[in-house]
Order: sequence, then C-alpha cells, then structure tokens
Amino acid sequence: MKTSQAGTLESMDCLVTLEEAPSGAGVSIEITGASAARFKSAMEKKITETLAALEAKDLKVTVQDNGALDIVLGARVEAAYKRLKGAK
Amino acid sequence: MRRTMLYLPGNNPNMLTRGWLFGSDGVILDLEDAVAMSEKDTARILVSRFLEQGEFGDREVTVRINGVDTEYWRDDLAAIVPMKRLDGVRAPKVDGPETVKILDEELSILEDKNGIPQGKLKLFCLLETAKGIWNAYDIATASPRVAAIIPGGEDLRADLRTERSDDGTELEWARRMLVFAARAAGVDPLDTVYSRVTDDAGLRRETEFIKQLGFAGKSVIHPNQIAIVHDVFNPTEAEIAKAQKIIAAAKEAAERGQGAVSVDGKMVDVPVVKRAEYTLIRAGLLA
Repeated sequence: MKTSQAGTLESMDCLVTLEEAPSGAGVSIEITGASAARFKSAMEKKITETLAALEAKDLKVTVQDNGALDIVLGARVEAAYKRLKGAK
Repeated sequence: MRRTMLYLPGNNPNMLTRGWLFGSDGVILDLEDAVAMSEKDTARILVSRFLEQGEFGDREVTVRINGVDTEYWRDDLAAIVPMKRLDGVRAPKVDGPETVKILDEELSILEDKNGIPQGKLKLFCLLETAKGIWNAYDIATASPRVAAIIPGGEDLRADLRTERSDDGTELEWARRMLVFAARAAGVDPLDTVYSRVTDDAGLRRETEFIKQLGFAGKSVIHPNQIAIVHDVFNPTEAEIAKAQKIIAAAKEAAERGQGAVSVDGKMVDVPVVKRAEYTLIRAGLLA
C-alpha cells in the first residue's frame, strides 16, 4: 500500500500520514498529540471535509499533532493527499 | 507606508499564524529561500490556505515566489493569485524588464481567470545581480504593477564577487543607483535585509544610512528588527513640529498670494513644503 506524509512535529504544526486502504474500507482517522483529547472531533471533521473536497476515499489517516490550527491541519492533509496521488 | 516588511517562512505554521502580530507594515510569505526544495509543494498549499482564511490585520501581504528560472513559479502564482488576501508578489532575481513582462502576463491571465480586477496585484522586484541593478529603471517602468524595487543582499554580493563588510561598502553604489531609478520611476525603493539579527546597533546604523540615501523602508527577517527600523524612519517630535510650522506658513502665504515665505530665517518654497508633507505622511498625520 502506498503512503505519504506532510507536515512536521514543530510547534503549531502536525505530521499527517496517509495510507491507501482497500477499496470500500472508507476513511479511518487516528489522532495523537497536543490537541487530540480536547479537539478530536473538530479535527476529525476538518480532516473528513478536506478529504471529501479532494474526492478522496479509502484511506487510513494518522495525525501526530503539536497544536496545529484548523487551517494548518487542512493544508497538511491536502498536501499529503496530493503527494499520495503524485500530483504537483 | 512600507517601513518594514517581515519575511515569514512559508512552511512554518507558527510564524504564518503569529508573524503579522509583531507590527511590521507588511509581511512577505516566503516560498523561495526559506523553503527546502522537498517542501515546495507543502509550503505552497499552506501559504495559499493562509491567504484564503488566515488573519493578517491591515498588513500589506505579499508572497515571495520562486524565480522565473525555476520549475516552481507558475505553480506558486496559480496557488496564491485566487486567494483574497494577496496584495502583491515579491519576485526574486529580476535582472531585466523582460522578467517583469513574463510575470505581468502571467498575473494578467490569472487575474482574468479568477475575476480579479486587472492590475490589482502589485510586483515587488528583487534586483539580485549586477545586471538587475544596471537595469533598475527599466525594471521599475516595465509594468504599472511594479510597486517597489529592492536590492539583493547576499546574491548581489556573490554576483559582484565580493564579501560582506561591516559598513556595506560593496553595496553602496547599487543602493544609490536603485534609489535614483525607483524615484525616477515613481516606485518605492526598499532596502535589503540586515542579516545579523542580534546586532541592534549595526541595524540602526545601516537603517539611518539607507534612510539618508532615500529608501522608503527595509525588509526585516526578525520581529526584533521592526521597532528599530520604525524608530529610525518615524519623524521625531521636533521634525513633526517643524513640518507643521512649514505647512501652516506655506498655506498662509498661498492665501496671501505669495510664492515663498520665511520660517525661522529659512526660505520655504515648494521642495521644502514637499519634504514637510512627507514628514507628516511618515508620522501618519497626512494621508
């Protein structure tokens, strides 16, 4: 299975890892780090929305968070997905 | 006013989030030298999202794109131009009017495509080679988009086959040339960065020098540099009081039908009034 990453573990950033999942498996999300306990559902919503806008399906998403804002999380997910697809 | 424009690394969420809070007149989101080759794609996405949704107060927001001699610049522009918070593009390694024309054309195409008024996005040209400095006036007049020209620091030194000195002798002629070209073209001359970020006295000395040459401001790379540059560029209370006196005297003279008057024993004529007005503009007392 192909994987890709985007982001860093620096302050206010996050490291997003995407892994292709079998067809029909849907999107699974695992979040660890600074904001995981308090903002997990909001972060999951942002990830889901970002992937939906990119028409992405069947992925395992892992986020190591170090206080990333919503906007940063979305940008990192988008970058990781574009890397996974080999797009520019 | 463009007294200070603060560089913010384009792949650093911390600086992109907080950078504008340090009080510079403008921010430069950097996709060029501050970003590793392997991270150009992620920085481009991050910067475009910040331009779309991020907060920058009333700062002038520009993005330093990659040079037109790289494979990145078209993608940079395509990602940032549609975003509402972009005021202009800082273009590196502009060494002639043809570089401006290439960028101008691409910006026009993208503005059209995205429903942005033609010419809204300004160009801030970095002149980083001897050729660029030599062509400064032609660059500054190559498009109405050009808002400022800026000498390079390290790249220009390398091109001149020289080294950095404490007093910047090696860049002195380039700076003078650039101010003349910019003023003749009606664009802002903005100075290069001062890279010794802990040398406050050195920064102050250099800023006083470039202000005296006629520069309108200076790029900065650390928040601590902002207050020093502003302090040098902001008029003193005595300068403001004198400028107000000159403007009042000139106004009174005009009402009496006189061309020139004397203030504190010195003749006040049109150039003196212009300088006084510029002082009040820098003090934020005149639009």
